[in-house]
Amino acid sequence: MTCTDVTCPVCGMSCDDIYIELTDDAVLTKNACLMGDAKFQELRSHHRLTKPLVHGEEASWDEALEKTADILVNAKRPFFFMGSETSNEAMAVGIEIAEYLGGLVDGNATICHGPTIMGLQLSGQVGSTLGECKNRADLNIYWGCNPADSHPRHMSRHSQFARGFWTEQGFKGRKVIVVDPRRSPTCEAADLHVQLKPGKDHELIDALMTMLRGEEPHPTVEEVTGVSRETLNKMAEMVKECKFGVIWVGLGIASSRGHHYNAAIAMRFTHECNKFTKFVINANRGHCNVAGFNQVLAWTHGFPFAVDFSRGIPRYQPGEYSCVDALSRGEVDAMIVMCANLGGHLPKKAVERLAKIPMIAIETSPGTNAFMSDIILPGVFDGMECEGTFYRMDNVPIYARSFTKPPFDFTESNEHTLKQLFEIVKKKKAEKDAREAKQ
Amino acid sequence: MPERQSSEVDDMEITLNTGSTVYQGAIIKGGKTFADAEGYMREAAYCNINPEDFDALGRPWFVRITNEYGDSVVLRAKKTNTQQRGEVFVPRGVWANIVVTVYTESTGSPTYKNLKVDIEKCNGPVLDPVTLMRQEYFGGNMHKIWKEKAED
Ligand code: SF4
Repeated sequence: MTCTDVTCPVCGMSCDDIYIELTDDAVLTKNACLMGDAKFQELRSHHRLTKPLVHGEEASWDEALEKTADILVNAKRPFFFMGSETSNEAMAVGIEIAEYLGGLVDGNATICHGPTIMGLQLSGQVGSTLGECKNRADLNIYWGCNPADSHPRHMSRHSQFARGFWTEQGFKGRKVIVVDPRRSPTCEAADLHVQLKPGKDHELIDALMTMLRGEEPHPTVEEVTGVSRETLNKMAEMVKECKFGVIWVGLGIASSRGHHYNAAIAMRFTHECNKFTKFVINANRGHCNVAGFNQVLAWTHGFPFAVDFSRGIPRYQPGEYSCVDALSRGEVDAMIVMCANLGGHLPKKAVERLAKIPMIAIETSPGTNAFMSDIILPGVFDGMECEGTFYRMDNVPIYARSFTKPPFDFTESNEHTLKQLFEIVKKKKAEKDAREAKQ
Repeated sequence: MPERQSSEVDDMEITLNTGSTVYQGAIIKGGKTFADAEGYMREAAYCNINPEDFDALGRPWFVRITNEYGDSVVLRAKKTNTQQRGEVFVPRGVWANIVVTVYTESTGSPTYKNLKVDIEKCNGPVLDPVTLMRQEYFGGNMHKIWKEKAED
Protein backbone atom coordinates (compact mmCIF):
# COMPACT_ATOMS: atom_id res chain seq x y z
CA MET A 1 0.00 0.00 0.00
CA THR A 2 1.28 3.47 -0.78
CA CYS A 3 0.20 6.78 0.63
CA THR A 4 1.31 10.31 -0.22
CA ASP A 5 1.22 13.61 1.63
CA VAL A 6 1.25 11.94 5.03
CA THR A 7 1.80 14.20 8.04
CA CYS A 8 4.83 13.35 10.14
CA PRO A 9 3.97 13.21 13.85
CA VAL A 10 7.46 13.72 15.23
CA CYS A 11 8.85 17.23 15.53
CA GLY A 12 7.03 20.56 15.58
CA MET A 13 7.35 21.02 11.84
CA SER A 14 4.56 18.51 11.05
CA CYS A 15 5.95 17.98 7.53
CA ASP A 16 2.97 17.04 5.39
CA ASP A 17 4.70 15.70 2.30
CA ILE A 18 5.80 12.25 3.43
CA TYR A 19 5.46 9.33 1.05
CA ILE A 20 4.89 5.91 2.61
CA GLU A 21 5.00 2.43 1.18
CA LEU A 22 3.70 -0.10 3.67
CA THR A 23 4.08 -3.85 3.26
CA ASP A 24 3.44 -6.63 5.76
CA ASP A 25 6.90 -6.48 7.22
CA ALA A 26 8.49 -3.23 6.08
CA VAL A 27 7.92 0.50 5.83
CA LEU A 28 9.54 2.60 3.13
CA THR A 29 9.46 6.35 3.52
CA LYS A 30 10.45 9.21 1.26
CA ASN A 31 10.99 12.83 2.32
CA ALA A 32 11.02 11.98 6.04
CA CYS A 33 14.18 12.85 7.96
CA LEU A 34 16.07 10.42 10.19
CA MET A 35 13.78 11.02 13.17
CA GLY A 36 10.58 10.96 11.12
CA ASP A 37 11.62 7.74 9.40
CA ALA A 38 12.42 6.11 12.76
CA LYS A 39 8.88 6.81 13.92
CA PHE A 40 7.28 5.44 10.74
CA GLN A 41 9.39 2.30 11.10
CA GLU A 42 7.65 1.77 14.44
CA LEU A 43 4.57 0.63 12.52
CA ARG A 44 6.32 -2.65 11.77
CA SER A 45 8.69 -2.88 14.73
CA HIS A 46 9.02 -6.00 16.84
CA HIS A 47 8.95 -4.21 20.14
CA ARG A 48 5.59 -2.44 19.80
CA LEU A 49 3.39 -2.80 22.89
CA THR A 50 0.16 -4.40 21.76
CA LYS A 51 -1.19 -5.91 24.97
CA PRO A 52 -2.29 -4.10 28.12
CA LEU A 53 0.04 -4.73 31.05
CA VAL A 54 -0.71 -4.45 34.75
CA HIS A 55 2.37 -4.61 37.00
CA GLY A 56 4.30 -6.18 34.18
CA GLU A 57 1.75 -8.97 33.64
CA GLU A 58 -0.52 -9.21 30.63
CA ALA A 59 -4.10 -8.24 31.41
CA SER A 60 -7.32 -7.84 29.53
CA TRP A 61 -8.22 -4.40 28.18
CA ASP A 62 -11.24 -4.06 30.46
CA GLU A 63 -9.29 -5.09 33.51
CA ALA A 64 -6.53 -2.57 32.73
CA LEU A 65 -9.10 0.20 32.24
CA GLU A 66 -10.89 -0.70 35.50
CA LYS A 67 -7.62 -0.65 37.43
CA THR A 68 -6.68 2.68 35.84
CA ALA A 69 -10.01 4.21 36.80
CA ASP A 70 -9.64 2.89 40.36
CA ILE A 71 -6.27 4.55 40.73
CA LEU A 72 -7.45 7.87 39.32
CA VAL A 73 -10.72 8.04 41.24
CA ASN A 74 -9.09 7.17 44.57
CA ALA A 75 -6.18 9.56 44.20
CA LYS A 76 -6.24 12.84 46.11
CA ARG A 77 -4.09 14.70 43.63
CA PRO A 78 -4.01 12.87 40.29
CA PHE A 79 -1.84 14.35 37.56
CA PHE A 80 -2.78 14.17 33.88
CA PHE A 81 0.15 14.56 31.55
CA MET A 82 -0.92 15.05 27.95
CA GLY A 83 2.10 14.28 25.80
CA SER A 84 2.60 15.73 22.38
CA GLU A 85 2.64 12.80 19.97
CA THR A 86 -1.10 12.65 19.94
CA SER A 87 -4.00 14.67 18.57
CA ASN A 88 -5.83 17.66 19.97
CA GLU A 89 -8.95 15.54 20.18
CA ALA A 90 -7.29 13.08 22.57
CA MET A 91 -5.86 15.90 24.67
CA ALA A 92 -9.28 17.50 24.98
CA VAL A 93 -10.72 14.32 26.50
CA GLY A 94 -7.78 13.99 28.89
CA ILE A 95 -8.26 17.57 30.05
CA GLU A 96 -11.95 16.91 30.56
CA ILE A 97 -11.25 13.92 32.81
CA ALA A 98 -8.75 16.00 34.78
CA GLU A 99 -11.38 18.67 35.29
CA TYR A 100 -13.99 16.10 36.27
CA LEU A 101 -11.73 14.57 38.91
CA GLY A 102 -10.24 17.85 40.10
CA GLY A 103 -6.71 16.89 39.13
CA LEU A 104 -3.78 18.74 37.64
CA VAL A 105 -3.04 18.85 33.95
CA ASP A 106 0.10 19.67 32.04
CA GLY A 107 1.78 18.80 28.75
CA ASN A 108 5.22 18.71 27.18
CA ALA A 109 5.23 22.49 26.82
CA THR A 110 6.12 22.69 30.46
CA ILE A 111 9.58 21.17 29.96
CA CYS A 112 10.00 22.73 26.53
CA HIS A 113 8.81 26.17 25.45
CA GLY A 114 6.64 26.88 28.51
CA PRO A 115 8.89 29.79 29.50
CA THR A 116 8.67 31.15 25.95
CA ILE A 117 4.90 31.24 26.31
CA MET A 118 5.26 33.03 29.62
CA GLY A 119 7.55 35.50 27.83
CA LEU A 120 4.84 35.95 25.24
CA GLN A 121 2.36 36.73 28.00
CA LEU A 122 4.76 39.36 29.34
CA SER A 123 5.73 41.06 26.09
CA GLY A 124 3.49 39.99 23.25
CA GLN A 125 4.80 38.17 20.24
CA VAL A 126 5.23 39.42 16.70
CA GLY A 127 4.78 36.06 15.03
CA SER A 128 4.10 34.70 11.60
CA THR A 129 3.44 31.45 9.83
CA LEU A 130 6.23 29.30 8.47
CA GLY A 131 5.07 30.07 4.93
CA GLU A 132 5.54 33.79 5.55
CA CYS A 133 9.13 33.15 6.59
CA LYS A 134 9.79 30.95 3.61
CA ASN A 135 8.44 33.48 1.15
CA ARG A 136 9.83 36.66 2.64
CA ALA A 137 12.69 36.25 5.09
CA ASP A 138 16.15 37.34 3.99
CA LEU A 139 17.66 37.10 7.48
CA ASN A 140 17.31 34.06 9.74
CA ILE A 141 18.59 34.27 13.28
CA TYR A 142 18.77 30.92 15.08
CA TRP A 143 18.91 31.90 18.70
CA GLY A 144 19.73 29.14 21.15
CA CYS A 145 18.53 26.48 18.75
CA ASN A 146 20.10 23.94 16.49
CA PRO A 147 17.57 23.07 13.78
CA ALA A 148 20.12 20.90 11.96
CA ASP A 149 19.64 18.42 14.79
CA SER A 150 16.28 19.20 16.34
CA HIS A 151 14.24 20.01 13.19
CA PRO A 152 16.24 18.40 10.39
CA ARG A 153 14.06 19.71 7.55
CA HIS A 154 13.55 23.18 8.98
CA MET A 155 16.20 24.92 6.94
CA SER A 156 15.35 23.16 3.71
CA ARG A 157 11.59 23.54 3.91
CA HIS A 158 10.93 26.85 5.56
CA SER A 159 13.98 28.94 6.18
CA GLN A 160 17.53 29.04 4.91
CA PHE A 161 17.60 26.81 1.86
CA ALA A 162 13.98 27.04 0.73
CA ARG A 163 13.02 29.00 -2.37
CA GLY A 164 9.97 31.14 -1.75
CA PHE A 165 7.85 33.56 -3.74
CA TRP A 166 10.00 36.61 -3.01
CA THR A 167 13.07 34.62 -2.09
CA GLU A 168 13.65 32.70 -5.32
CA GLN A 169 17.38 32.80 -4.86
CA GLY A 170 17.12 30.44 -1.90
CA PHE A 171 20.17 30.47 0.34
CA LYS A 172 22.02 32.87 -1.94
CA GLY A 173 19.58 35.60 -1.07
CA ARG A 174 19.47 34.92 2.65
CA LYS A 175 21.76 35.59 5.56
CA VAL A 176 22.05 33.51 8.72
CA ILE A 177 23.12 34.39 12.21
CA VAL A 178 23.51 31.64 14.80
CA VAL A 179 23.62 32.64 18.44
CA ASP A 180 24.88 29.65 20.39
CA PRO A 181 27.66 29.03 22.91
CA ARG A 182 28.35 25.79 21.11
CA ARG A 183 29.59 25.43 17.55
CA SER A 184 26.56 23.36 16.59
CA PRO A 185 26.04 21.75 13.17
CA THR A 186 23.72 24.65 12.26
CA CYS A 187 26.76 26.96 12.38
CA GLU A 188 28.03 25.38 9.16
CA ALA A 189 25.44 27.46 7.31
CA ALA A 190 26.03 30.65 9.27
CA ASP A 191 27.29 33.97 7.96
CA LEU A 192 27.86 35.02 11.54
CA HIS A 193 28.25 32.81 14.58
CA VAL A 194 27.77 34.76 17.78
CA GLN A 195 29.44 32.48 20.30
CA LEU A 196 28.30 33.97 23.56
CA LYS A 197 29.05 32.70 27.04
CA PRO A 198 26.37 30.23 28.20
CA GLY A 199 23.37 31.88 29.80
CA LYS A 200 24.25 35.42 28.72
CA ASP A 201 21.40 35.78 26.24
CA HIS A 202 19.58 38.43 28.23
CA GLU A 203 22.67 40.64 28.45
CA LEU A 204 23.40 40.20 24.76
CA ILE A 205 19.88 41.12 23.67
CA ASP A 206 19.92 44.06 26.01
CA ALA A 207 23.15 45.35 24.45
CA LEU A 208 21.75 44.92 20.94
CA MET A 209 18.58 46.80 21.86
CA THR A 210 20.68 49.65 23.23
CA MET A 211 22.67 49.75 20.01
CA LEU A 212 19.53 49.74 17.87
CA ARG A 213 18.39 52.81 19.80
CA GLY A 214 21.63 54.51 18.76
CA GLU A 215 23.26 54.42 22.18
CA GLU A 216 26.44 52.88 23.46
CA PRO A 217 26.13 49.58 25.35
CA HIS A 218 27.83 49.29 28.72
CA PRO A 219 31.64 49.08 28.42
CA THR A 220 31.73 45.67 30.11
CA VAL A 221 29.56 44.11 27.41
CA GLU A 222 32.40 42.17 25.78
CA GLU A 223 33.57 40.78 29.06
CA VAL A 224 30.09 39.83 30.23
CA THR A 225 28.74 38.23 27.07
CA GLY A 226 32.03 36.97 25.62
CA VAL A 227 31.11 38.56 22.27
CA SER A 228 33.39 41.14 20.64
CA ARG A 229 32.14 44.66 19.82
CA GLU A 230 32.91 43.98 16.21
CA THR A 231 30.56 40.98 16.13
CA LEU A 232 27.90 42.94 17.99
CA ASN A 233 28.14 45.82 15.49
CA LYS A 234 27.96 43.41 12.59
CA MET A 235 24.90 41.71 14.02
CA ALA A 236 23.13 45.03 14.63
CA GLU A 237 23.92 46.12 11.07
CA MET A 238 22.60 42.87 9.58
CA VAL A 239 19.40 43.30 11.57
CA LYS A 240 18.89 46.87 10.37
CA GLU A 241 19.69 46.10 6.76
CA CYS A 242 17.42 43.12 6.16
CA LYS A 243 13.99 43.35 4.57
CA PHE A 244 12.34 40.65 6.64
CA GLY A 245 14.05 39.04 9.58
CA VAL A 246 13.05 36.03 11.63
CA ILE A 247 14.33 35.05 15.04
CA TRP A 248 13.88 31.34 15.65
CA VAL A 249 14.18 30.84 19.38
CA GLY A 250 15.09 27.51 20.86
CA LEU A 251 15.52 26.08 24.30
CA GLY A 252 18.83 27.89 24.67
CA ILE A 253 16.66 30.82 25.65
CA ALA A 254 13.84 29.06 27.48
CA SER A 255 15.83 26.50 29.50
CA SER A 256 18.72 28.55 30.82
CA ARG A 257 18.81 30.88 33.81
CA GLY A 258 16.27 33.65 33.47
CA HIS A 259 13.90 31.36 31.55
CA HIS A 260 10.83 33.47 30.67
CA TYR A 261 12.65 36.78 31.09
CA ASN A 262 15.00 35.75 28.31
CA ALA A 263 12.02 34.99 26.10
CA ALA A 264 10.33 38.25 27.05
CA ILE A 265 13.33 40.40 26.18
CA ALA A 266 13.80 38.50 22.90
CA MET A 267 10.24 39.46 22.01
CA ARG A 268 10.82 43.08 22.99
CA PHE A 269 13.92 43.02 20.82
CA THR A 270 11.68 42.02 17.91
CA HIS A 271 9.44 45.02 18.65
CA GLU A 272 12.54 47.21 18.54
CA CYS A 273 13.68 45.74 15.21
CA ASN A 274 10.30 46.56 13.72
CA LYS A 275 11.23 50.24 13.95
CA PHE A 276 13.73 49.58 11.16
CA THR A 277 12.32 46.72 9.17
CA LYS A 278 9.85 43.84 9.33
CA PHE A 279 10.87 41.35 12.01
CA VAL A 280 9.14 38.35 13.57
CA ILE A 281 9.97 35.84 16.27
CA ASN A 282 8.91 32.19 16.24
CA ALA A 283 9.60 29.37 18.67
CA ASN A 284 11.18 26.23 17.24
CA ARG A 285 8.93 23.83 19.05
CA GLY A 286 10.44 20.42 19.44
CA HIS A 287 7.53 18.06 19.50
CA CYS A 288 4.81 17.24 17.07
CA ASN A 289 1.75 18.58 18.81
CA VAL A 290 3.29 20.38 21.74
CA ALA A 291 1.79 23.64 20.50
CA GLY A 292 -1.58 21.88 20.30
CA PHE A 293 -1.65 21.23 24.03
CA ASN A 294 -1.28 24.95 24.71
CA GLN A 295 -3.98 25.75 22.18
CA VAL A 296 -6.47 23.16 23.40
CA LEU A 297 -6.05 24.04 27.07
CA ALA A 298 -6.22 27.75 26.22
CA TRP A 299 -9.43 27.44 24.24
CA THR A 300 -11.10 25.15 26.74
CA HIS A 301 -9.90 26.70 30.01
CA GLY A 302 -8.13 29.94 29.21
CA PHE A 303 -4.58 29.00 30.19
CA PRO A 304 -1.77 27.50 28.13
CA PHE A 305 -0.33 24.88 30.55
CA ALA A 306 0.16 24.01 34.25
CA VAL A 307 -3.48 24.04 35.34
CA ASP A 308 -4.98 22.78 38.59
CA PHE A 309 -8.69 21.92 38.83
CA SER A 310 -8.77 20.96 42.49
CA ARG A 311 -11.04 23.87 43.46
CA GLY A 312 -13.46 23.25 40.63
CA ILE A 313 -12.16 26.14 38.55
CA PRO A 314 -9.02 26.16 36.43
CA ARG A 315 -6.08 27.85 38.17
CA TYR A 316 -2.82 28.53 36.34
CA GLN A 317 0.52 28.69 38.09
CA PRO A 318 3.73 27.55 36.43
CA GLY A 319 6.21 26.54 39.11
CA GLU A 320 3.43 25.19 41.27
CA TYR A 321 1.01 23.17 39.15
CA SER A 322 3.59 22.36 36.48
CA CYS A 323 4.67 18.75 36.22
CA VAL A 324 8.29 18.90 37.41
CA ASP A 325 7.49 21.12 40.38
CA ALA A 326 4.40 19.23 41.55
CA LEU A 327 6.24 15.91 41.27
CA SER A 328 9.42 17.01 42.96
CA ARG A 329 7.48 18.51 45.85
CA GLY A 330 5.98 15.06 46.28
CA GLU A 331 2.35 16.10 46.25
CA VAL A 332 1.17 14.10 43.24
CA ASP A 333 -0.20 10.69 44.26
CA ALA A 334 -1.13 9.21 40.87
CA MET A 335 -0.05 9.97 37.37
CA ILE A 336 -1.38 9.21 33.92
CA VAL A 337 0.94 9.91 31.02
CA MET A 338 -0.31 9.91 27.47
CA CYS A 339 2.25 9.62 24.67
CA ALA A 340 5.22 11.21 26.39
CA ASN A 341 8.49 9.82 27.58
CA LEU A 342 8.63 11.26 31.06
CA GLY A 343 10.89 8.58 32.53
CA GLY A 344 13.61 9.66 30.13
CA HIS A 345 13.07 13.40 30.09
CA LEU A 346 12.41 14.64 33.57
CA PRO A 347 15.18 15.41 36.04
CA LYS A 348 16.07 12.83 38.64
CA LYS A 349 14.11 14.21 41.55
CA ALA A 350 10.85 14.24 39.57
CA VAL A 351 11.40 10.71 38.24
CA GLU A 352 12.07 9.50 41.77
CA ARG A 353 8.53 10.55 42.63
CA LEU A 354 7.18 8.76 39.54
CA ALA A 355 8.81 5.56 40.81
CA LYS A 356 6.94 5.86 44.10
CA ILE A 357 3.39 6.57 42.95
CA PRO A 358 1.01 4.51 40.83
CA MET A 359 1.61 5.46 37.23
CA ILE A 360 -0.39 4.70 34.12
CA ALA A 361 0.98 5.11 30.62
CA ILE A 362 -0.66 5.17 27.23
CA GLU A 363 2.45 3.99 25.48
CA THR A 364 3.65 2.38 22.27
CA SER A 365 7.10 1.04 23.08
CA PRO A 366 8.90 -0.46 26.08
CA GLY A 367 11.07 2.54 26.89
CA THR A 368 11.86 4.58 29.96
CA ASN A 369 8.27 5.61 30.49
CA ALA A 370 6.85 2.11 30.30
CA PHE A 371 9.60 1.10 32.73
CA MET A 372 8.20 3.48 35.36
CA SER A 373 4.57 2.50 34.80
CA ASP A 374 2.32 0.16 36.75
CA ILE A 375 -0.30 -0.01 34.06
CA ILE A 376 0.37 0.22 30.35
CA LEU A 377 -2.42 0.83 27.87
CA PRO A 378 -1.17 0.30 24.31
CA GLY A 379 -1.06 3.57 22.38
CA VAL A 380 -2.13 4.35 18.84
CA PHE A 381 -0.06 6.41 16.38
CA ASP A 382 -2.12 9.45 15.55
CA GLY A 383 -1.70 10.58 11.99
CA MET A 384 -0.84 7.03 10.95
CA GLU A 385 -3.35 4.65 12.53
CA CYS A 386 -6.09 7.17 13.18
CA GLU A 387 -6.87 10.68 12.02
CA GLY A 388 -6.46 13.76 14.14
CA THR A 389 -5.40 17.40 14.22
CA PHE A 390 -1.99 18.69 15.20
CA TYR A 391 -0.85 22.25 15.70
CA ARG A 392 2.34 22.95 13.84
CA MET A 393 4.98 25.01 15.65
CA ASP A 394 3.63 28.24 14.14
CA ASN A 395 0.21 27.43 15.65
CA VAL A 396 -1.38 26.48 12.34
CA PRO A 397 -3.66 23.45 12.74
CA ILE A 398 -2.86 20.57 10.39
CA TYR A 399 -5.27 17.77 9.76
CA ALA A 400 -3.51 14.41 9.75
CA ARG A 401 -5.12 11.55 7.86
CA SER A 402 -4.61 7.92 8.71
CA PHE A 403 -3.41 5.28 6.30
CA THR A 404 -3.53 2.11 8.37
CA LYS A 405 -5.21 0.62 11.45
CA PRO A 406 -3.86 -0.12 14.94
CA PRO A 407 -2.66 -3.70 15.47
CA PHE A 408 -5.40 -4.39 18.06
CA ASP A 409 -9.14 -3.96 18.18
CA PHE A 410 -9.94 -2.76 21.70
CA THR A 411 -9.37 0.87 20.78
CA GLU A 412 -9.30 2.96 17.62
CA SER A 413 -7.34 5.96 18.86
CA ASN A 414 -5.95 7.50 22.02
CA GLU A 415 -9.05 9.66 22.06
CA HIS A 416 -11.17 6.51 22.01
CA THR A 417 -9.08 5.00 24.84
CA LEU A 418 -9.63 8.05 27.02
CA LYS A 419 -13.33 8.18 26.20
CA GLN A 420 -13.72 4.56 27.29
CA LEU A 421 -11.79 5.36 30.44
CA PHE A 422 -13.93 8.43 31.12
CA GLU A 423 -17.11 6.34 31.14
CA ILE A 424 -15.67 4.00 33.75
CA VAL A 425 -14.28 6.91 35.76
CA LYS A 426 -17.72 8.53 35.89
CA LYS A 427 -19.29 5.32 37.11
CA LYS A 428 -16.67 4.74 39.77
CA LYS A 429 -16.75 8.33 40.93
CA ALA A 430 -20.53 8.20 41.34
CA GLU A 431 -20.19 5.01 43.40
CA LYS A 432 -17.49 6.56 45.54
CA ASP A 433 -19.52 9.74 46.13
CA ALA A 434 -22.57 7.65 47.09
CA ARG A 435 -20.47 5.62 49.50
CA GLU A 436 -19.05 8.73 51.12
CA ALA A 437 -22.47 10.37 51.37
CA LYS A 438 -23.74 7.36 53.31
CA GLN A 439 -20.95 7.43 55.87
CA MET B 1 53.48 14.22 28.27
CA PRO B 2 54.87 15.92 31.36
CA GLU B 3 53.62 19.46 30.70
CA ARG B 4 50.08 18.17 30.42
CA GLN B 5 50.31 16.20 33.58
CA SER B 6 51.40 19.28 35.46
CA SER B 7 48.20 21.05 34.36
CA GLU B 8 46.00 18.08 35.22
CA VAL B 9 43.29 18.76 37.74
CA ASP B 10 41.33 16.26 39.78
CA ASP B 11 38.04 17.95 39.53
CA MET B 12 36.89 21.01 37.65
CA GLU B 13 33.84 23.23 37.82
CA ILE B 14 32.23 23.46 34.43
CA THR B 15 29.00 24.56 32.75
CA LEU B 16 26.77 21.78 31.47
CA ASN B 17 24.44 22.22 28.51
CA THR B 18 22.11 19.47 27.41
CA GLY B 19 20.18 19.34 24.17
CA SER B 20 18.89 17.09 21.44
CA THR B 21 20.83 15.59 18.57
CA VAL B 22 19.26 14.04 15.53
CA TYR B 23 20.72 10.58 16.20
CA GLN B 24 19.54 10.53 19.79
CA GLY B 25 16.16 11.77 18.48
CA ALA B 26 15.96 8.92 15.98
CA ILE B 27 16.56 6.30 18.70
CA ILE B 28 13.90 7.80 20.96
CA LYS B 29 11.31 8.34 18.21
CA GLY B 30 11.93 4.84 16.97
CA GLY B 31 10.99 3.57 20.43
CA LYS B 32 14.41 1.98 20.78
CA THR B 33 15.52 3.41 24.13
CA PHE B 34 15.50 -0.09 25.55
CA ALA B 35 15.16 -2.20 22.40
CA ASP B 36 18.52 -0.85 21.19
CA ALA B 37 20.11 0.10 24.49
CA GLU B 38 23.58 0.03 22.96
CA GLY B 39 22.57 2.49 20.28
CA TYR B 40 20.96 4.70 22.90
CA MET B 41 24.16 4.63 24.97
CA ARG B 42 26.24 5.46 21.92
CA GLU B 43 24.08 8.48 21.09
CA ALA B 44 23.21 9.84 24.51
CA ALA B 45 25.76 8.70 27.10
CA TYR B 46 28.69 10.89 26.13
CA CYS B 47 30.09 14.25 27.09
CA ASN B 48 31.64 16.67 24.59
CA ILE B 49 34.65 18.46 26.03
CA ASN B 50 36.81 21.26 24.67
CA PRO B 51 40.39 20.03 23.80
CA GLU B 52 42.06 22.22 26.41
CA ASP B 53 39.72 21.11 29.18
CA PHE B 54 40.14 17.56 27.95
CA ASP B 55 43.90 17.79 28.42
CA ALA B 56 43.52 19.47 31.77
CA LEU B 57 41.32 16.60 32.92
CA GLY B 58 44.06 14.14 32.00
CA ARG B 59 42.72 12.95 28.62
CA PRO B 60 40.02 10.76 30.17
CA TRP B 61 38.11 7.90 28.58
CA PHE B 62 35.30 8.41 31.06
CA VAL B 63 34.18 11.34 33.16
CA ARG B 64 31.94 11.67 36.16
CA ILE B 65 29.67 14.71 36.33
CA THR B 66 28.30 15.74 39.71
CA ASN B 67 25.73 18.42 40.48
CA GLU B 68 25.38 20.57 43.57
CA TYR B 69 23.14 17.99 45.28
CA GLY B 70 25.75 15.27 44.87
CA ASP B 71 23.92 13.35 42.13
CA SER B 72 26.43 12.02 39.67
CA VAL B 73 26.59 10.14 36.40
CA VAL B 74 29.41 8.53 34.42
CA LEU B 75 29.72 9.26 30.71
CA ARG B 76 32.10 8.61 27.85
CA ALA B 77 34.41 11.58 27.30
CA LYS B 78 34.66 13.00 23.77
CA LYS B 79 37.14 15.65 22.75
CA THR B 80 35.52 18.13 20.36
CA ASN B 81 36.22 21.57 19.01
CA THR B 82 32.56 22.48 19.13
CA GLN B 83 32.73 23.41 22.82
CA GLN B 84 34.11 26.57 24.32
CA ARG B 85 36.43 26.27 27.28
CA GLY B 86 34.65 25.76 30.56
CA GLU B 87 31.54 24.14 29.13
CA VAL B 88 30.48 20.64 28.15
CA PHE B 89 27.57 19.21 26.21
CA VAL B 90 25.62 16.02 26.99
CA PRO B 91 22.73 14.94 24.75
CA ARG B 92 19.30 14.69 26.28
CA GLY B 93 18.47 11.37 27.87
CA VAL B 94 18.36 9.37 31.07
CA TRP B 95 22.05 9.99 31.76
CA ALA B 96 21.93 13.78 31.48
CA ASN B 97 18.76 13.89 33.56
CA ILE B 98 20.47 12.37 36.58
CA VAL B 99 22.32 15.66 37.06
CA VAL B 100 19.75 18.11 35.66
CA THR B 101 18.24 19.88 38.66
CA VAL B 102 14.57 20.53 39.30
CA TYR B 103 15.19 24.19 39.96
CA THR B 104 12.66 25.79 37.59
CA GLU B 105 12.59 29.43 38.70
CA SER B 106 8.81 29.09 38.91
CA THR B 107 8.42 28.34 35.22
CA GLY B 108 8.04 24.57 35.26
CA SER B 109 11.09 24.15 33.05
CA PRO B 110 14.12 22.56 34.76
CA THR B 111 17.67 23.80 34.27
CA TYR B 112 18.51 21.75 31.20
CA LYS B 113 21.11 24.30 30.17
CA ASN B 114 23.77 26.41 31.74
CA LEU B 115 24.09 24.32 34.87
CA LYS B 116 27.19 24.51 37.07
CA VAL B 117 28.56 21.00 37.70
CA ASP B 118 31.81 19.33 38.70
CA ILE B 119 33.58 17.10 36.25
CA GLU B 120 36.35 14.60 36.93
CA LYS B 121 38.20 11.79 35.22
CA CYS B 122 37.05 8.31 36.23
CA ASN B 123 37.28 4.70 35.19
CA GLY B 124 33.70 4.11 34.13
CA PRO B 125 31.66 2.13 33.58
CA VAL B 126 28.81 3.84 31.76
CA LEU B 127 25.62 2.09 32.86
CA ASP B 128 23.04 0.90 30.36
CA PRO B 129 19.66 2.65 30.64
CA VAL B 130 17.88 -0.20 32.42
CA THR B 131 20.58 -0.71 35.04
CA LEU B 132 20.90 3.04 35.51
CA MET B 133 17.18 3.52 36.11
CA ARG B 134 16.96 0.47 38.38
CA GLN B 135 19.81 1.78 40.44
CA GLU B 136 18.76 5.42 40.58
CA TYR B 137 15.01 5.10 40.88
CA PHE B 138 14.16 1.64 42.14
CA GLY B 139 16.99 0.93 44.55
CA GLY B 140 18.20 -1.85 42.31
CA ASN B 141 15.03 -3.93 42.35
CA MET B 142 12.21 -3.32 39.94
CA HIS B 143 9.91 -6.12 41.04
CA LYS B 144 10.05 -5.23 44.67
CA ILE B 145 8.77 -1.77 43.90
CA TRP B 146 5.95 -3.09 41.76
CA LYS B 147 4.87 -5.37 44.55
CA GLU B 148 4.97 -2.68 47.16
CA LYS B 149 2.95 -0.38 44.99
CA ALA B 150 0.39 -3.08 44.32
CA GLU B 151 -0.06 -3.78 48.03
CA ASP B 152 -0.63 -0.13 48.90
S1 SF4 C 1 11.57 17.54 10.15
FE1 SF4 C 1 10.24 16.92 11.82
S2 SF4 C 1 8.18 16.76 10.95
FE2 SF4 C 1 9.67 16.82 9.24
S3 SF4 C 1 10.08 14.68 8.76
FE3 SF4 C 1 11.65 15.31 10.23
S4 SF4 C 1 10.78 14.80 12.25
FE4 SF4 C 1 9.11 14.74 10.77
